[in-house]
Amino acid sequence: MISTKSLSRRGFLNMGAAAGAGLLLPKTGLITPAHAAGPLAPVAEEDAHIAFGHTGPTSDEGWTWAHDQGMKAVAAAFPKLRTSYVESIPYSADATRIYRQFVADDACMVFATSNYGDFLYDVAKRAPDVAFYECDGRNPLDNLGTYYVSHWYPSYVAGIAAGAMSPSGKLGYVASFPVPSVYSGTNAFLMGARTVNPEATLQTIVINSWFDPQAATQAGTALIDNGCDVLFGIMDEAGYLQVAEERGAKAVMWNTDLRRYGPNAYISSIIVDFKAFYVEQVRRRLVGEWTPTYDLLPFGGGVDVDAWGETVPADVAAKADAVKASIMDGSFNPFSGEIKDSKGNVKVAKGETMSEQELYHWNWSIEGVSGLDA
Amino acid sequence: MSTIRLQRMPIAPARIALVLRLLSVVLALLTTAILLWATGRDPIALGAKVLSSTFGSSFGLEDLALLFSPLIYCGLAVAVALRIGAWNIGAEGQFNFGAFCATGIALFVPGPTWLMLPLMALAGMIGGALWILVPTLARAYADVSELITTLLMNFIAMLLVYWVATGPWLDPSGMALATTARLPVSVPPIWGIVHWGLPVAVMLAIALALVFTYTRWGYEVRIAGANPGAAAYAGMPVKRQLIAVMLLSGALAGLGGMMEAAGTVGRLQGGISNNYGYIGIMVAVLARAAPLGVLATAFFMAVILNGGIVLQSQGLTTHTVLAVTGLILLYAAIGDEAAHYKILRNKTGES
Repeated sequence: MISTKSLSRRGFLNMGAAAGAGLLLPKTGLITPAHAAGPLAPVAEEDAHIAFGHTGPTSDEGWTWAHDQGMKAVAAAFPKLRTSYVESIPYSADATRIYRQFVADDACMVFATSNYGDFLYDVAKRAPDVAFYECDGRNPLDNLGTYYVSHWYPSYVAGIAAGAMSPSGKLGYVASFPVPSVYSGTNAFLMGARTVNPEATLQTIVINSWFDPQAATQAGTALIDNGCDVLFGIMDEAGYLQVAEERGAKAVMWNTDLRRYGPNAYISSIIVDFKAFYVEQVRRRLVGEWTPTYDLLPFGGGVDVDAWGETVPADVAAKADAVKASIMDGSFNPFSGEIKDSKGNVKVAKGETMSEQELYHWNWSIEGVSGLDA
Repeated sequence: MSTIRLQRMPIAPARIALVLRLLSVVLALLTTAILLWATGRDPIALGAKVLSSTFGSSFGLEDLALLFSPLIYCGLAVAVALRIGAWNIGAEGQFNFGAFCATGIALFVPGPTWLMLPLMALAGMIGGALWILVPTLARAYADVSELITTLLMNFIAMLLVYWVATGPWLDPSGMALATTARLPVSVPPIWGIVHWGLPVAVMLAIALALVFTYTRWGYEVRIAGANPGAAAYAGMPVKRQLIAVMLLSGALAGLGGMMEAAGTVGRLQGGISNNYGYIGIMVAVLARAAPLGVLATAFFMAVILNGGIVLQSQGLTTHTVLAVTGLILLYAAIGDEAAHYKILRNKTGES
């Protein structure tokens, strides 16, 4: 469960209403709503309709599947309410139509499990009595909150193992879009790898989708053809893991334990778990406590590294586990200066540490990452 | 004794074609209903839900209008090219590139709204025409099939939009991902969130219908499409007409892209075209390339697509909708072919 206490103990920002507009504030300092409005009125469990909008199919065994598990946890915790979901919502005006349809269907709470930007924002603005959440959202309203996972920490830890298991030092990354979650994921992964393999580099290929098994497979093949021997990515399915298995390379995945698709290639996965978050937010909505929150699920509390794959050497696993422990107890923060961008400029000076907002909004590649910066 | 014999006629009678067209739609919906019923759902309740959600609220009607509008532009684009016998499979690309050009003007050229909107519309049309220029010239002068070239151009335009929206034109505020900033000018609304893109599209359809019916140029285009050899023999400038019509086709799709970016979405981002260009092919084919027919079929497709949104919120997958549209086209194609046949009865022995 996410509590303000544990967040601050670990040095996380509480992105709650009082303290937290900060996370959503880019450095340009745009004004966020003051959340002067009180909590939304309570809803009787038997009258409640909780709706989920997904970017991919719930059968993806990855991101959307994990959110669907969250929905099932909500249904189990509140058996009298109604849940519904729509899969594979495109990032077009169709998204607006689907979210409006949820509102028309009397949803009292809507979770968008991906960033739908204005398509969701416009709907939320016209439905002030409905609670909205946008995963990886940026633009809050009195009835629109945000949640995401601080995946950069587990990505860093997995990067350590990846660096140790890459003889060539050439890492590959199958990217969806050049967006902050991809920048933070690639940067953290390479920074981890460089602690054991200082010359390591990371090449990315952008495929313009979170769920396109064919394109992800092609991208993985191209990266290995180019000499990469460890693949990472931010895909909702297992495509490039199978490529790595066939080609004798290694891979780090996202969302769920996918080792059965490539037992020899599998190093680990960035595991996500939204069940507790969803149940808690639905509870707040039903009892009439709900105001929007800006939650970043912490390392170990919604996002983690999976158990190591069977081909990960014990000493490599031990080393990565030690770093994980030091991050989790707060004694070590990997995102400290000096950090240079891909053009060689010093972006984080020696002695400085990146804040959670900076990590959330990360939009530049570190030196050694290629393929994202325009 | 008499036997029944089928005779194929070169031209299908319009009335029979229309009846079969309507019948094909009914059959497609009936097939869908049977499949829904067979998988344990209640097709009547779902159908009622679709109708009430689409027509029973201002939300539904607004959504319908916003789907209707781009389908008219793309349907007209494909239909116009079909008049002269060209297959513009590239409305999707022209739509994207038109949106791209209009966005460029909106983001980088300062000016008052009354000047900006016509300028952006012009940019959208020129962009759409430019995007079909190479396939047009290749078809006119090198006899390269426009079917392939226009299709391939789609991928370039789509990737170009993805690239600018996530790279050089990315919203600098950091408040939105993978999209440009909100455009400083927008197409003004006429009702709720429905903007002027729709009435403009309807007026264009009517204007095109008048041009094709009452002008010499429209007549020549039809002849050139039906029989280019005969048209050329009659002294018509077939090549010039082909070029003009295909550029017009691209311009229509490009204008649709401008209206989508500056009216409906308010930004430029990858995937903005939402397959309207491809669905436009279906719209034009079902309308038998008649501009006024496009209004009817675009409306019908908008209802189907909006119905798909409603069905998805009732637990059906997005593929169901795709299957329904495919079924309609399949039955329509069968109906079109069937319309060519006449049933003859004759006595044995006679011939």
